[in-house]
Amino acid sequence: MSLGKYLALDKLANLFNILKQNGGIRGTLYKLYRQEEAKDGVLVGEDKFGNKYYENPRYFYGRSRWVEYNEKFHLNYDASQVTSEWYGWLHYKTDLPPHQDPSRPKYKWMIDGNENLSGTTGQYTPYSTTRPKVEAWMPKKAE
Amino acid sequence: MLAIKTLGAAVPSTALSVIKKGAFAPIVDQVRQTHLPAPKPNEKRLYSPFQDASNMAEYAVARLDDLLNWGRKGSMWPMTFGLACCAVEMMHFAAPRYDMDRYGVVFRASPRQSDVMIVAGTLTNKMAPALRKVYDQMPDPRWVISMGSCANGGGYYHYSYSVVRGCDRIVPVDIYVPGCPPTAEALLYGVLQLQKKVKRMKTIQIWYRK
Amino acid sequence: MLRQPLSRALALSSPARVAPLAARRYADAVPAQPEKVEVFIDDQPVHVLPGTTVLQAAAQVGVEIPRFCYHERLAVAGNCRMCLVEVEKSPKPVAACAMPVMKGMRVKTNSDLTRKAREGVMEFLLVNHPLDCPICDQGGECDLQDQSMAFGSDRSRFTDIHFSGKRAVEDKDVGPLIKTIMTRCIHCTRCIRFASEVAGVDDFGTTGRGTEMQVGTYVEKMFLSELSGNIIDLCPVGALTSKPYSFAARPWETRRIDSVDVLDPLGSNIVVATRTNEVLRILPRTNEEINEEWLSDKSRFACDGLKRQRLVTPMLKDSRGNLAPVEWEDAVVAAARALRDCPPDKLLAVAGGLADAEALVALKDLLNRLGSEHVCTEHYFPTQGAGTDLRSSYLLNTKIANVEDADFVLLIGTNTRFEAPLLNARIRKAFIHKETDVALVGPKVDLTYEYTHVGDSASIVKDFASGTSSHEVMKRLQQAKRPVVILGADQLKSEEGPALLAYTQELAHKLQENLQDKEWKVLNVLQRTASQVAALDIGYQPGVGQALAAGPKVVYLLGADSGVVTRESLPEDVTIIYQGHHGDVGASIADIVLPGAAYTEKRATYVNAEGRAQQTLVAVSPPGKAREDWKIIRALSEVLGAGLPYDTLDEVRDRLSQVSPALVAYGDVQPNNYFAQARALAQSLQKPVSGKLDVQLKQLEDFFMTDAISRASPTMAKCVQAVLKQKNSPY
Repeated sequence: MSLGKYLALDKLANLFNILKQNGGIRGTLYKLYRQEEAKDGVLVGEDKFGNKYYENPRYFYGRSRWVEYNEKFHLNYDASQVTSEWYGWLHYKTDLPPHQDPSRPKYKWMIDGNENLSGTTGQYTPYSTTRPKVEAWMPKKAE
Repeated sequence: MLAIKTLGAAVPSTALSVIKKGAFAPIVDQVRQTHLPAPKPNEKRLYSPFQDASNMAEYAVARLDDLLNWGRKGSMWPMTFGLACCAVEMMHFAAPRYDMDRYGVVFRASPRQSDVMIVAGTLTNKMAPALRKVYDQMPDPRWVISMGSCANGGGYYHYSYSVVRGCDRIVPVDIYVPGCPPTAEALLYGVLQLQKKVKRMKTIQIWYRK
Repeated sequence: MLRQPLSRALALSSPARVAPLAARRYADAVPAQPEKVEVFIDDQPVHVLPGTTVLQAAAQVGVEIPRFCYHERLAVAGNCRMCLVEVEKSPKPVAACAMPVMKGMRVKTNSDLTRKAREGVMEFLLVNHPLDCPICDQGGECDLQDQSMAFGSDRSRFTDIHFSGKRAVEDKDVGPLIKTIMTRCIHCTRCIRFASEVAGVDDFGTTGRGTEMQVGTYVEKMFLSELSGNIIDLCPVGALTSKPYSFAARPWETRRIDSVDVLDPLGSNIVVATRTNEVLRILPRTNEEINEEWLSDKSRFACDGLKRQRLVTPMLKDSRGNLAPVEWEDAVVAAARALRDCPPDKLLAVAGGLADAEALVALKDLLNRLGSEHVCTEHYFPTQGAGTDLRSSYLLNTKIANVEDADFVLLIGTNTRFEAPLLNARIRKAFIHKETDVALVGPKVDLTYEYTHVGDSASIVKDFASGTSSHEVMKRLQQAKRPVVILGADQLKSEEGPALLAYTQELAHKLQENLQDKEWKVLNVLQRTASQVAALDIGYQPGVGQALAAGPKVVYLLGADSGVVTRESLPEDVTIIYQGHHGDVGASIADIVLPGAAYTEKRATYVNAEGRAQQTLVAVSPPGKAREDWKIIRALSEVLGAGLPYDTLDEVRDRLSQVSPALVAYGDVQPNNYFAQARALAQSLQKPVSGKLDVQLKQLEDFFMTDAISRASPTMAKCVQAVLKQKNSPY
């Protein structure tokens, strides 16, 4: 065990590394304000919304991959803004991020994912499949 | 309403009350009242959902509402209503891995001090009055999260003679969390959705408008 | 003597079986009260008339003896043996339903012997009864189920299943209303007795004996009756169940709401069974003064018409002349504009046959406030003479229950069997049990009992009234102690209507003057619709003929669907506002449609042909945007700036009671006795008549579809098809 480790200097180095990567003290505080966490890691990729995916195996499994949402979302980020391509990587279902994975199937029926729009006018509203209990009268159309 | 005005007839409020009684107000209007416009893809999203103030006073009450909602959403105490297997997932949600406490969500085993009720599991006919009673004891404003298929719509037990086909037949539900049972993550997402909903509450603005 | 088929009469003439029938107490059946005898039921003394059966005596002290075949309103058969009881000093148990009481009889209804007898009978019944309760529609309201719980054995000794098995019987097809699962039949013969005694259909009977016994129609045949649905209620097991209701719901799942039927003028009492805001079925509710415990098929099975062809949203004609759904505001404003822009004398309101009293009074008040007096009903009634001013001129004054006591019934131009099936059942009951004779002036129709057909000319009534007729019916009428004259309101439509009414009044008055019983009322007018009496009470003008001739600019149809108002009979530029619950004749000619509530969806007052006010209750909520009728009119009045002075139902009813207290005296009939005055006023109308009387409903197939609800009902359509098919079959 090196002296540096013994004196926990590597932790200090990590701290400086984090501060550096997040844009200094000010930037780090902003990160903490926005996502309550500031980490250092390797940028693995970016999705169509502009969310950035990072990895750092130094953190233990389960926290070693994370997403930093696009700045435009500000505080209104939401887990549904992680695209389905990146979902598997972020959740350790695969180690290959989408742009490095050649075996991802592409089917015609696959549609582009979108974020959860519940609570807005763009929300999904299911249609009813039950037959109406009362059959309404349809007036005859004049031709 | 415009049509009535163009008619020029005197329209006392009682006429409208008779007309409006029941489900006269179309659902589109309702959505316009309670729902925000869908976000544009490249627009920067500001913190407050209330961005359409036309004068100072409206701006002020909008900020007051923001403050109130911030306080409310940051400390939502759920009344636990663990009824079946979903309750185990709800416990996971409380445990360190998902750690609900970081969102200010703390279980409170008393309806009198809680804000939100998580109906976790199959609601049986026998339990329904108790559920309603507990709901009635909660102070306003209060919210309900229906957790799992059984609470959402009866689920596996939909055709059972003893099960309520959805807890929304007993209490008004704000958030439905699908799953059988939903993972703790799903419940967490549901709580975050509820926070979003709380964030767009217009308590003071509606008071001001009156 | 009972006027039964010969075989039945023979079977019934044995003293033991006649006795209970005689024991039914009619007003004059027991002239002098014979001395009562004392019997002991489980050591409780009870005094009953001689001839009472043990079962009836037990019922008087509140001891219920189990039974399957016995029914209060049917003849005693005594073939199920479930009512066996021990009688002291009797060597074996006796059937309580057929055993007349004897002095000092000591009956034990709960002794070991009785219990053992019941258990044995139950075991025998269950030997051939399938154990399909979970898939049986009767489950939950099954007498056999209940009584085997209460009186049956707690274990089975049935092993025969390995050898010969249970008896299986082929199902019969008796039409689109009744589903038969004959294997379940326990041969109580209630259906057979109902068919022959009440419905007047002798096609039902048993064939074979012992295990081979089967209930059926001998040859495959439809049960051609307008009262067939009642055998479903009568059947103590699930052998006869309702076809439209099959596998729909269990009785404990349904909510039952007491209500009143409006599909015929009698206002039969009904129970509406609903589940999840849907009317599932309609059952009769016992009311001795109206429908006893029967119900006609139209009232019972037309309820599925309430779910079809409904008006669920207000509609307006768009620029291309198509009705398009709109919001209430737009429809009400359009209607208000039409009403406001119309000169008051060009305004016309027409009320249909299903309108309730609240809507009627609101509509009349609205039109009066707009300065118009043109409020009419669809059905005509002569306005000359006393017209509709005297209530007794247009009511069924004798009352339905009293028809049983009549000794001579004269029907003039009415087919009671289809216009008022339960009134006809009463007449038939009187005919069978009481020696009442019936005569008919009008077309020859099948009334299910024998009658003297006098002819179909209106002049016969004139001859009767003047006393110049030499027909034997004239003599019988004059000799009768309690004659009843029933005039069909349909006859009054024609030119000779006023004269016919005048003659009938004259005849009834002459008959009444000779009566010893001064309280007895002779004159009856049988209206055709449920709303007519209320409308006339409120002050509607009967008939639309004159009003249409005046060329109205705005016509307000309140459920007027009988087709008397047509586009052709109106000027080109007329605006038609239709308010009602079904898309039928009225809505299809309308410019503005306002959706109202049907009778199961509102608390509303209906006045039946006797003048008895009754109210329906809310069983389900109106579909879609439909609203209660009086509320629509109230909202319309507000937009017109002529607000009606009532906001709640109670206030509307206060207004009704101002118009006539009889309209809110629920359940009561207010006696009316202005026959002499009406006759005096009508004397000048006694002009010579020569026309022929004809009735609208002659055959069973005419009966099923008469109004907006039954026309929308698929079950009723199936009935018509089935009846027509039966007509073509060789049997």
